[in-house]
Amino acid sequence: MTKMWKVALLMVVASFFLGLPGAFAGKLDDIKARGTLIAGVKDSQPPFGYVDENTKQLVGFEPELCAALAAKLGVKLELKPVTSATRIPMLEQGGIDLIAATMTHKIEREEKIDFSITYFPAAQKLLVKKDSGIKSVADLAGKKVGSAKGSTSEQNVKKAQPACEVVSFETYPEAFLAMKQGKVVAVTTDAPILLGIRNSDENPDNFAIVGEDIAAEPYGIGLPENDSDFRDFVNVTLMEMWKSGEYQKLYDKWFGEKTKFYIPLTWQMEVWP
Amino acid sequence: MNYKFNWALIFSGEYGRWFIDGLSVTLQLSGLSIILALLLGTLLTTMRISRVKPLVWLSVGYIEFFRNTPLVVQIFFWYFGSDPLLPEFFKEWLYRQNIEFATGVIALSTYTAAFIAEELRSGILSIPKTQLEASRATGLTFLQAMGYVILPQAFRIIIPPLISQFLNLIKNSSLAMTIGVMELTYMARQVEAHTFHGFEAFTVSTLMYLSLSLLVSLAINQYNKRCLHVRSR
Repeated sequence: MTKMWKVALLMVVASFFLGLPGAFAGKLDDIKARGTLIAGVKDSQPPFGYVDENTKQLVGFEPELCAALAAKLGVKLELKPVTSATRIPMLEQGGIDLIAATMTHKIEREEKIDFSITYFPAAQKLLVKKDSGIKSVADLAGKKVGSAKGSTSEQNVKKAQPACEVVSFETYPEAFLAMKQGKVVAVTTDAPILLGIRNSDENPDNFAIVGEDIAAEPYGIGLPENDSDFRDFVNVTLMEMWKSGEYQKLYDKWFGEKTKFYIPLTWQMEVWP
Repeated sequence: MNYKFNWALIFSGEYGRWFIDGLSVTLQLSGLSIILALLLGTLLTTMRISRVKPLVWLSVGYIEFFRNTPLVVQIFFWYFGSDPLLPEFFKEWLYRQNIEFATGVIALSTYTAAFIAEELRSGILSIPKTQLEASRATGLTFLQAMGYVILPQAFRIIIPPLISQFLNLIKNSSLAMTIGVMELTYMARQVEAHTFHGFEAFTVSTLMYLSLSLLVSLAINQYNKRCLHVRSR
């Protein structure tokens, strides 16, 4: 009897391992069969992805981008909040189908996941007090600069200005507080995030975003590794949105002149013939 | 599981040096804090067992306050919360220094001092009261009696609990990373963020903490045995 149990157990375990490759039949089929696209987005990064104060819903530029992808597939959209630390493991484990969460397309990240073409060309800048006299990275020599841990920003600013000292906090709001108190002279990260922090202050006009582009931070949609069909679908949909003007409309809604996060649309999406 | 272990990566390039830098900051942070915590703890105990009521109240208040609030809250308080209380001209000078490290030392030593004070007090209480009375009778002042007769014996008794306070302090020093002190845990997280190999990075830092703690307790135990001739019971 016990032998039978062992055989049964062995078969269950074996089928579990054998069954795994079957799970990679293709994300597109999975999504269609399920009837929902599950997207990982930020929940505290206005205007990219955040919880609306009134409706308590996840909204923003990236959720709406995902909504367009879901509409194209003819499925419903489900949004899951992710953080910079959880997003890649969640995608690898299949908890989400894609990541649209202010994620810079970096070659190192290609080891674990795939990326779509760039959908937002962020660049790293400096947030300073207006009267600080700091105009560019050159003025940071011998000064302290705040950033957040684990971000690409700390490394980039150190490269651009080796004579500055980077102090890394847990979050950007803490780095901003340290800057307001005078412990660091500037906060550095992607310009749209800096805009968000600046606008969260009571007196946004006391602060300015200055300097040349310290580094390019092209945001791409994170996709499961080695799923060519799914990646093609996302890339083609993004390009179609650009060509039809749907992208520009979306951009204008979240980053246009009338918004708090005005960033002029000066780039061209990569469009394949 | 398709995680590929890569131990060589952790020590290649700059990463190995980051760990050493982090370990060195952890050592400085803990070393300075231990000395200050011992001094402050001794002062608190002396106040506590003196007969001067205001000093006793002050000491009891301090110990209860610092023992019963989370260390990470205290660190944030010292770093962010103290800002409005400091005069403007002093702040300008202060913030240009390594204020992050200094805040770490202040927070760790004031916190640990409260625990050391309580342990020292129990050590002192274990010494018969008659010894203090006898030393006072020979003409020593209260402070002299404490310094020459009571404290040397009390410290010997509390060495084992004192070791665990030191070890706690070393481990607590990792909380200083929340205000940007580049100690060992901070560096391990940096390596993780740059390599995406968290398992290896945190294994290395864990082993470093473990060896550091074991070395400290071994050293104190040896000193205890060899130099103070205390037989372990």
